[in-house]
Amino acid sequence: MKSKLIRYIRQSLPGKIILWIALLTILVFVASLGFMFSQSRKSVRKEAINRAEQVLDNTVQRVTNILDRVEVATNNFDWLPVRHLNAPDSMFVYSRRILELNPDVKSCSISFEPYYFPKLGKYFSVFSIKQDGGIYTTREGNPDYDYFTFDWYQLAKLLDRPVWTEPYFDFSLDNAYEPDMIASFCKPLKDEKGRYVGTISTDISLSWLSETISAVKPYPNSYSIMIGRGGTFFVHPDSTKLFYQTIYTETLDHPDPDRTALGKAMQAGEEGMKPLKVNGKDCYVFYKPLATTGWSVGIVCPESDILSGYRKLRGAALVIVFLGLIIMLDLINRVINHELEPLGRLTSQAKTIASGEFDTELPDEGRIDEIGQLSQSFTGMQHSLINYIEELKQTTAQKASIENELKVASDIQMSMVPRIFPPFPERKDIDLHAAMTPAKEVGGDLFDFFVQDERLYFCVGDVSGKGIPASLFMAVTRNLFRIIAQQGRTPAEIATQINEFLFKDNDQGMFVTMFIGMADLGTGALNFCNCGHNPPVLVRKGQKAAFMDLKYTNRPLGIWDEGEFYGEEVANIREDQLLLYTDGLNEAENADKELLGNDEVLRLMDEVAGCPSREVVLHLQLAVEKHRAGIAPNDDLTLLCLRLLKG
Amino acid sequence: MNKGILRALSLCALLAVAWSASAQKFIFTPQWTAQAQFAGYYVALEQGFYRDAGLDVEIVHPNISKSALNRVRDNESQATTLQLCQAMEIIDSGVPLVNILQTSMNNALVIVSREDVNPLLLRGKRVGTWSIGFDQMAICLSVKEGLNYQWVPFSSGINLFLTGAIDATVAMSYNELYQLIQAGVEITDNNIYRFCEHGYNVQEDGVYMAQSYYETHREEARAFAEASRRGWEWAVEHPDETLEIVMDYVNRNHIGTNRVLQKLMLDEILRLLVDRESGKREYRLRPDMVQLANSLMLENQIILREIPYDKLIAR
Repeated sequence: MKSKLIRYIRQSLPGKIILWIALLTILVFVASLGFMFSQSRKSVRKEAINRAEQVLDNTVQRVTNILDRVEVATNNFDWLPVRHLNAPDSMFVYSRRILELNPDVKSCSISFEPYYFPKLGKYFSVFSIKQDGGIYTTREGNPDYDYFTFDWYQLAKLLDRPVWTEPYFDFSLDNAYEPDMIASFCKPLKDEKGRYVGTISTDISLSWLSETISAVKPYPNSYSIMIGRGGTFFVHPDSTKLFYQTIYTETLDHPDPDRTALGKAMQAGEEGMKPLKVNGKDCYVFYKPLATTGWSVGIVCPESDILSGYRKLRGAALVIVFLGLIIMLDLINRVINHELEPLGRLTSQAKTIASGEFDTELPDEGRIDEIGQLSQSFTGMQHSLINYIEELKQTTAQKASIENELKVASDIQMSMVPRIFPPFPERKDIDLHAAMTPAKEVGGDLFDFFVQDERLYFCVGDVSGKGIPASLFMAVTRNLFRIIAQQGRTPAEIATQINEFLFKDNDQGMFVTMFIGMADLGTGALNFCNCGHNPPVLVRKGQKAAFMDLKYTNRPLGIWDEGEFYGEEVANIREDQLLLYTDGLNEAENADKELLGNDEVLRLMDEVAGCPSREVVLHLQLAVEKHRAGIAPNDDLTLLCLRLLKG
Repeated sequence: MNKGILRALSLCALLAVAWSASAQKFIFTPQWTAQAQFAGYYVALEQGFYRDAGLDVEIVHPNISKSALNRVRDNESQATTLQLCQAMEIIDSGVPLVNILQTSMNNALVIVSREDVNPLLLRGKRVGTWSIGFDQMAICLSVKEGLNYQWVPFSSGINLFLTGAIDATVAMSYNELYQLIQAGVEITDNNIYRFCEHGYNVQEDGVYMAQSYYETHREEARAFAEASRRGWEWAVEHPDETLEIVMDYVNRNHIGTNRVLQKLMLDEILRLLVDRESGKREYRLRPDMVQLANSLMLENQIILREIPYDKLIAR
């Protein structure tokens, strides 16, 4: 599916355009919306924080007011017990009185140090409590209720200042657990000399406090907590945590730096806001200390609540943007497909044309835009293609005709050189073999030989250039050689006359290098004239092959109108091998443009020293083919090997 | 010492009379409210180990309004748990007790400073301690090291410590120490003194009976000890199930604690079962530890005569 989609996009221009538009549009939308959402979020969050802080402030203020009233009530009363330390019974009256005058106070105890009133024993604590609409007063303290070790008594004594205890469950008079949570404001009692004598403790029910704080709910899923000095939860919506767990309890099992930081800040009496994860949800906790109690109140607000309005807005915006994007892309898709439809048709028709149906009619949309221009250009191209193909057909036909003619020309050329070997089967003293291999259909090389008056005339030539001009020049040269040589002239005279004939009307500036030889079959002497041709290889019997040492090289024939050509003579070449060749031998190239080379020619000749001429020629031809290793010949190759034998 | 003698006499009276009052029921009273400290006994009861041993055991906890001593006074228990030093103090006061099962092989007492200060540097400072005892080793330390601590007895909790009313507090490594940590107190290498690491490693919890009761009910005592030991071994093998049983007791008794604390306490209590030297749960009083307790308490006049090892253990 994925690969199909990718293939479709790669093959479809509209697909690509739509994809790019979609990507760029989404990019722009994401960037814009991201910025907008970020700003909105900050703004909403700031407002939420202000709101939560305000709610928290109000709550703390309300609670503080009540706690303050208890503190004031205690402070207004504590002078009475201190003034009447000589009348322990008066303590019963005072502890009742403070309850009567202060509706917020639930109970009050005035407790003294061990044996402070020696006649009354170790324990003397007067306790009054509101219960069932009345006030009950009793004396407390015994080995089972050793109040000296209780927090409410000891805190004031040890700290030497008024102090709130942690919230706790106190005993009721019937010695059962009182379900109500209370806290005590404790103040040390001192005699006139400033010595500590006991503690006055006013207790306040905290059920109202729990209700007041629990009711604070600035957001639907927010809730309030209150912790004591030890981090213990005294207000929490989860009743299993009340009194039994602290803000750190969960961190003992699963360390949570955020929770620990919050606990530390709340315990330290700080005010502020911190992030916290509750049951995997991100929350913010706004916290503030409760007056002088050492307790701290917090409101836990899930981020989802704080940002719910923002999230609704964001959700709506995302839906609108998403739908808008879909609609926009659909419209763009339709427009692009409509606009590019002719292109599709053009593509389809082009494929048809590419398949060979050149006369397929291209659509004319009557458009003048780029697609219209493309269509017109394509039509023009189609017409050009048709014309070109027509011309190509003609050219191909012409080429075939030329090739045919060239074949004929080749046949004619080859018929101009001796083709029957051995050429003189009746003569045992002449071992001659020759071969000509044109590089193209026709070549510029030539060779010829004939016997006249016990003289063997022979030649090998190489016309400048290749192909038909060279072949024609070669034909002319070969005819001149045969005509002039038959007049019984020496090779130098033959060369001189051929040059004269060729020079005339040689507007093309062509020339031919040529080795003309005349062997006296009787004496074995060789007379020759070399006209700019490669020096022949002469293999003396029993000796190594060597290039002939020429006195006169002369100039090629046909290009310069100048005097005589000079010939030379070798006294006797009988039993020797004479190789005439064109540069198709020693300059034969392989794929790396490496030449066969003169040294190799000599080495090859040594390999076939003493062999019949036919074998020599075949050996050299094979060597050339092997050197070329399959690549086309770079030049015509002509070989002529002569060995005069004893008759 | 008067307090200790009175306490011991009361306990003895209870243990002696209790059995005659209830011949069928075997009532066991741990020295504190329901918590993982007594997990092995809860397990033994819930898993039927006591029943298998032919005992009809009931576990009755003390509560704040009715301490263990008071329960004893009311003839409600046949056996209870005591720390070794407590037991020796009671025996020293003239009340013969017999150890029928020793569970703790290590001392769990620590002193924690409020500030990050070595407790041994708090000379003359206020140190909180339990109003009902458990502090013999701390007293020995204070005297021996010349610390001259001002002991501030508290009934329960750690509030004096948290408010700064005291400078340090004694704590049990399985209980109050975790309460302190749970209250956000940071325990460092510096602000805690572990008695077990400084020559005060005296065993703690064991099960004790009145000598007279033991003499006439050896079989019951042996059966109770054996079944309790099975309970502790089962707790070691099944800590998760044990925690569930503990939490059931905690909830039934409305104890102000939580699962996390009880899990930590259980882990620590099970660790304390293992002897530091042998690496095994030995369930026995070690004579050398009894000797150490004797020498320390005699030196500090917590007891006035040596309590021989032979007198402590059930024969």
